[in-house]
Amino acid sequence: MDKAFIQRRRRDLVVAAFLTAIAAVVPMFVKDVYVQNIMVLTLMYGALSQSWNILSGYCGQISLGHALYFGLGAYTTAILFTKFGVLPWFGMLSGGVLSAIIAMALGYPCFRLGGHYFVIATIVIAEITLLLFHNWDWAGAALGIDIPVRRDSWVTFQFTRSKLPYFYFALALACVAWFVTWWLEDSKWGYWWRAVKDNPIAAESLGVDVFNSKMGAAAVSAFLVAIGGSFYAQFVSYIDPESVMGFQFSLLMALPAVLGGIGTLWGPLLGAAILIPLTELTRSYIGGSGRGVDLIVYGGLIIAISLARPQGLVSLFSRKPKPAANQVREAVAS
Amino acid sequence: MTALLETRNITQRFSGLTANSDVSIKVGRGEIVGLIGPNGAGKSTLFNLIAGAFKPTEGQIIFDGEDVTALPAAERCQRGIGRTFQVVKSFETMTVIENVIVGSLVRTTHMRDARRKAHEVLEFCGLGARADVLASDLVPSEKRRLEVARALATEPKLLLLDEVLTGLTPVESQKGVELVRRVRDTGITVLMVEHVMEIVMPLVDRAIVLDLGKVLIEGKPTDVVRDPKVISAYLGDRHAVGA
Repeated sequence: MDKAFIQRRRRDLVVAAFLTAIAAVVPMFVKDVYVQNIMVLTLMYGALSQSWNILSGYCGQISLGHALYFGLGAYTTAILFTKFGVLPWFGMLSGGVLSAIIAMALGYPCFRLGGHYFVIATIVIAEITLLLFHNWDWAGAALGIDIPVRRDSWVTFQFTRSKLPYFYFALALACVAWFVTWWLEDSKWGYWWRAVKDNPIAAESLGVDVFNSKMGAAAVSAFLVAIGGSFYAQFVSYIDPESVMGFQFSLLMALPAVLGGIGTLWGPLLGAAILIPLTELTRSYIGGSGRGVDLIVYGGLIIAISLARPQGLVSLFSRKPKPAANQVREAVAS
Repeated sequence: MTALLETRNITQRFSGLTANSDVSIKVGRGEIVGLIGPNGAGKSTLFNLIAGAFKPTEGQIIFDGEDVTALPAAERCQRGIGRTFQVVKSFETMTVIENVIVGSLVRTTHMRDARRKAHEVLEFCGLGARADVLASDLVPSEKRRLEVARALATEPKLLLLDEVLTGLTPVESQKGVELVRRVRDTGITVLMVEHVMEIVMPLVDRAIVLDLGKVLIEGKPTDVVRDPKVISAYLGDRHAVGA
């Protein structure tokens, strides 16, 4: 039954395993720390964008405030570690759960808002939280939190001599985010989300619980993004409000998905693989005094994509639409 | 046997405009009932009230022995009310089969079962060959069929059809009529809103005519079309005298 569908699902898994294997051996040949750093960031933003894509791509609830969950993950881990000696692994989990709960608490009023109002609400809430953290002395206020460096260990998830452990963690995170998406895509939730995105009224008439669909998507999305935030805090070992909760993180989660293909399985990773290295390279080579050249690059890319490939770069790989469909349409129209 | 659907004294006002006034109808199990009437008679309002798109100002809706007046649309679907939309609302970025799977997921969470059910329903509706096409690539008559297929996938006891036969070519609407008959033959009760009398009348077991928000008359289609009140509602009083 439905062999083509099962084959496509299998093929996705095989391709993912293959790409993971290639990515895993790359650091053996690329020893340059600067390049390794870019690879870590690329994988991290790929994972973040993949998580953002669950709520905004599949379920269609565009959020430009996901920096909030990224920051919450980072702060939860850093605060638990510096103030209570809790290991980052538990901090990571706590940050994820906390973010999922907050995403649902915020979703409760916000998911009643339609269209653009929802987007605006997400931006405003993230900005308000940023200001709160700026003024919250116990959490380090504007000075932020310095995570004390101990010896390299997987227990404390700190590594000063090598970036490789971070690289493998980021790779694992990207794999998890991809796999969760792959798995949800062919589940009740996946279908419900896409139905809600396309037409909530029709979805409701088919028994879809529209509100809870959105809540579920928000929780999964926020949980994964917060794990990314926790990871980032360990990776940079110093956080302040602007460096983990700034608006640019919200953008950097949305843009790869938009570039690669919003609401698609491969779009976010493909987008991140192009956008993040490009950003980092422009920043270091033509950046210098002119901060913002990378922003011009984003802008240019998005304009180019929306003009040439509104479905995202991923559509370059998909099979071409059957000409038969158009013939039928023309035949009927005439 | 009790009616599958009963509306009791339904009144619906939209800020001053009374769309339905004291409407009480019954739909028995296994019937095909046509809800007809001229433009603005309140057909669509009554239809939407039964489907749960909004709640009536006054009155009750009893479905399968249970008061469903306060239930939202999704829960009515779970209890066995399926519907189509007059202006088709396909999930445009999803394929035809995926559209139908959304419906079949009301009854099962096993994807394999949901997919099998969706294929069955598509075959039944004559869309089997179009399963992997994007819904946005369907021609209008196919989109109407998709609406029916999606609703059937929810395994309804009562299927509400909102002008599914309107605006089709004669050949297409004949196919539609056959589809509705086959749906009834599987044991599903059908309540259909139609504007065009000559399509509906041969199909339905019973017709309910609404006019100005009230039930004008109900009965066998052959009796209803001859009734002077119906002719006058559709064509004006002058023609009714001649009949």
